[in-house]
Amino acid sequence: MTPREITSIPSTEHSSFLKSRYLSAPLMVDIEYIRLLTDSHRKTDGMEVQERRALNHAHALENITPVIHPNDRLAGNKTRYIRGAIPYANYAAEPFLREMRKQEQDAQAKHAETGQGGGVARVMQEAAEKGLRVISGKFLISEPDLQDFRGICEYWEDKCFMAQGDKLWKTHFSEAGFIENGWKIGLYTAPHEPCPEGRLILDFDTAIRKGYQSIIHDIEKRIRDFQPENIVEAGKLHFWRSAITVLKGAIGFAKNYAEEAGRLALTEPDPVRKHELLQLADICGRVPMEPPRNFREAVQSFWFTYLLGHMEGSHLGYSPGKLDRILFPWFKSDVKTNFTEAVSLFEELFVKMTQIEYIASLSWQGLGHGNLYQNLILGGTDEHGNPAANEISRAILQAQINMQMTQPTLSVWYDDRLDDQFLMKAAECVKTGVGYPAFFNQKTYEQHELKTSGLPIEVIRKHCAMGGCTEPTLQGMSYGIVQAGFVNHGKIIDLVMNGGKDPVTGIRMFDERRLKTFEEIRQYYLDSMHSAVRNWQQYWNFVMLAHRDTVPLIFCSVFVQDCIGRGKNMDDGGAILNQSVTTLSSGMVNVANSLAVIKKLCFEDQACTFDELRYAVQDNWQGFEGLRRKALSVPHWGNDEEYVDSIFLDLFNEYCTWVRGQNNYLGKPYDPSMLAISTPVPFGKVCEAFPDGRLKGEPLADGVTSPFPGSDKHGPTAVIRSSSKVDHTQIRGGLLNLKFHPSALSGESGSRNLLALIKTYFENPGFHVQFNVVDSNMLRDAQEHPENYRDLVVRVAGFSAYWVEMSKALQDQVICRTEHLL
Amino acid sequence: MSQGTLFDIQHFGVHDGPGIRTLVFMKGCPLRCSWCCNPESHSAMPQVRYIRFRCKACHRCTEACTRGAITPINGSVLINYDKCRACTSRTCLDVCYHEALNLTGYSLDAKELLTIVSKDLVFYRNSGGGVTFTGGEPLSQPDFLLESLRLCQDAGIHTAIETCGYGNPDSVKAISPHTDLFLFDIKIINPDIHLRHTGQSNDVIIRNLDYLAKEHKHIILRFPLISGITDTEENIGEIIGLMKKLNLQEIQLEPYHTLGESKYEEFGVLHTENLIPEILNYPVETVIERFHAAGIACEVA
Ligand code: SF4
Ligand code: SF4
Repeated sequence: MTPREITSIPSTEHSSFLKSRYLSAPLMVDIEYIRLLTDSHRKTDGMEVQERRALNHAHALENITPVIHPNDRLAGNKTRYIRGAIPYANYAAEPFLREMRKQEQDAQAKHAETGQGGGVARVMQEAAEKGLRVISGKFLISEPDLQDFRGICEYWEDKCFMAQGDKLWKTHFSEAGFIENGWKIGLYTAPHEPCPEGRLILDFDTAIRKGYQSIIHDIEKRIRDFQPENIVEAGKLHFWRSAITVLKGAIGFAKNYAEEAGRLALTEPDPVRKHELLQLADICGRVPMEPPRNFREAVQSFWFTYLLGHMEGSHLGYSPGKLDRILFPWFKSDVKTNFTEAVSLFEELFVKMTQIEYIASLSWQGLGHGNLYQNLILGGTDEHGNPAANEISRAILQAQINMQMTQPTLSVWYDDRLDDQFLMKAAECVKTGVGYPAFFNQKTYEQHELKTSGLPIEVIRKHCAMGGCTEPTLQGMSYGIVQAGFVNHGKIIDLVMNGGKDPVTGIRMFDERRLKTFEEIRQYYLDSMHSAVRNWQQYWNFVMLAHRDTVPLIFCSVFVQDCIGRGKNMDDGGAILNQSVTTLSSGMVNVANSLAVIKKLCFEDQACTFDELRYAVQDNWQGFEGLRRKALSVPHWGNDEEYVDSIFLDLFNEYCTWVRGQNNYLGKPYDPSMLAISTPVPFGKVCEAFPDGRLKGEPLADGVTSPFPGSDKHGPTAVIRSSSKVDHTQIRGGLLNLKFHPSALSGESGSRNLLALIKTYFENPGFHVQFNVVDSNMLRDAQEHPENYRDLVVRVAGFSAYWVEMSKALQDQVICRTEHLL
Repeated sequence: MSQGTLFDIQHFGVHDGPGIRTLVFMKGCPLRCSWCCNPESHSAMPQVRYIRFRCKACHRCTEACTRGAITPINGSVLINYDKCRACTSRTCLDVCYHEALNLTGYSLDAKELLTIVSKDLVFYRNSGGGVTFTGGEPLSQPDFLLESLRLCQDAGIHTAIETCGYGNPDSVKAISPHTDLFLFDIKIINPDIHLRHTGQSNDVIIRNLDYLAKEHKHIILRFPLISGITDTEENIGEIIGLMKKLNLQEIQLEPYHTLGESKYEEFGVLHTENLIPEILNYPVETVIERFHAAGIACEVA
């Protein structure tokens, strides 16, 4: 086994303790928040929706138990447990009910496999011994809580976001049948209502700097001076009043922590800890109500706002954004806090962020692999375009080099002129093998946002950040993207190869066509893709009406510009940027490879007829091995081969243009995006063999421009050359995974080569690249002996995950991603 | 323009010269070192390569071969390379569905090579990289090597060759001005022992090294550490002596590894001394210290 070059350990015993406590904690479901929210909801029937939502959230915040775990120096937890999730029955009660009625497991098993690595299995066994129940695959819940929760779900069954949405689109959308069939055949990811929120970054800067009290005063002043001219305008009052309610609830939440710290201090025997608790009581009595007095208070203030926003919705991809830029001024003006202390504070903060869990339907857990996609982005430039990495950027990198927590995932806005010390530190972090930071090209995104939103370049530079895995957005001023989920391009290949009928279920999606030329096949693909995309977009536009009427985010809207100014929450168009809503898909590389094979073998070389190729894929290539070998030797994406690359670019441009042709629910064009998260595995599982040589059930190509595993024959530079042909300014998001053996990057020269690789790709200009630095022997060993790899983190796609919590199939995929090792 | 025979071109090489490099592996080698890991480099001709673990023993190749070169043996096949040598049809390759048979080695001219190498120009520029000719022995194809080095240099690409030093002194003279870096293998200083373990005496090698040193070329020596053969007290001392004499500053160590064993089987070459222990006479660190003590920069390659 090759030892890792960079191995660091937590900087203090305190951090070590927090990390190991986290690693040995079971995953729990905590129903306290949802019970409190539901209690309040029961009593507030008839209220205006925003005011009701604010009141319900505020009620929960004020009454939730403040838990300060032993040794905690930062206050505030999402649940009472070390690792806990809130089950948001107000978003979607039905999946929980269905599971409780013991049906979900069977129905969803074929769509997704949740973590069954050693770690999870062990915890489940322990739980059974303690008499706890398992819910949603891997979470534990006590029997009384489960009974309580059942009642809560029954209450929400017809009131939750999902139920209300279903009532709308299933009744009124003409293509509802297409969507439902799309789920059955795996054309789409499972309904996203259980965890629709995210891709959102609040205006933490304002929250910290002004403090809640002064924001409340501002709003109160607006109300005092308000002279509405019509009913629509008068509606602003609802939002403003809701904002005040929810901010007051948030203040109550912090004050409860202050009291709890004081209470614990009274009985604390250890004088050192007693002092800490008193200090904590003092801090929580101050922030986030008032501006912080020092760096530590700024961190606590950030954490409160971050947490409170997180509690309001069922989020994936809710992110801290440019935390180095936000916190640096507080660090600079605080002479009492040095670099080492900052590192240790971040170590604790990152444990806190990792402790947040989410629970949704089984299928989404399979897709996200339990990952919350909290993305912290470093570096980049200031509003004038000057490189902006600072000491805090390095402290954050150092903290994650030391801790290697899965959350937050780190990213770097790459700019050529970022200082060497920072970039080398980033390379060092990559070399730990933890899978981050991912590198993003700021200039490419600037171009995209200029084209899309037309906002001034200074604004874009100042606010650009990453919301979720690889979706750039403007922090503190964008609508948090609430999107439907993914379209599976691979399934469309199946449909094309079978005359519009799904070969697995026999469900017909499209009319059959006469396919005699390559052009006709390509067109059939495009038309099918068009319908799949358009129906998906329109379906979601129906659903989002229900979102506005059931779960609009009020607390979060307070911290998104210019909701307060406009007197509207985000769903009503309060955000400055509403072009952020994306349409997602994955698997296009397999389509390009397949079309290349069809073109070459059936229409140029006459190696077989199209019908023969259809039989071959229908029979999973059995009996057609010779033909398969020919198919594999047709150029595949990722080798800088014009033949196939031009096909990919054609598809890519068609997709982007088509996606933009439909407006989103906020009245702006949908923004094309391609990501992967874990979709290649479940999407591949439901697909038959493809013309490109891929076998039935194998995962699809990973990422957006990553080659199909094993088909990149000319090393990473060719992958990058292919990938850089794509006009990344067209899409919001995009991703390229490269995997290296540690020896390919060893030493200072290894770091420099890594940076040279990034620089070259971004000159071309690519958008995103991330690295897995591991050794496949190590990974195989980890499959066999998960107990020795409890803390092994690997990059999957846009996120890093604990190895032992990943499904076997996903583990296999990570292993076989070509190792670029010489 | 002359044709060269390569057995591979690899991109993103980071261990053979500075920066990100393209490695050009040339076929043909005049030496037969007992510890060699690259049997595919020995013959100057393209060859069929058999990868046993992929073979499903379907024996389609046996049927397809027109020269009766492939014999089935339990669970795998055996290729008779004497029969196979001059084949041009290579029908066996088409029928092997499991990619157990591959062709290694292909021909191209210097211009075609430049086209391939140039694709990574930006990577070289950003990393201070370039092209490295290795092998096999690049000097065994002197005309092609010279033309390629010239073209690359004209295109502004940093050039390096990794050589065992065994080549015609005139060729060495000719390529010298077009080569920015020499990774020069030094194995054994004692000529008799050298002959015994490599099949050739080393006087030409030492002569070429002497010439390049006098030309003040940038030379990094590469020293394979083979237990009991090259890592002896005496040999190391003599290498240090030679480096002092020629005023050479850098050496890289290459501890022996056994990866080559299964490769031999793939090429029908007999491994002359099968069991070379991986345990060295001295730990690598001790060898490094010896060089350092002599004021020589030394690291593991
Ligand atoms: S290369 Fe020709 S002679 Fe050699 S094994 Fe293949 S078919 Fe037979
Ligand atoms: S054709 Fe390939 S798999 Fe079949 S016996 Fe020959 S080498 Fe083995």
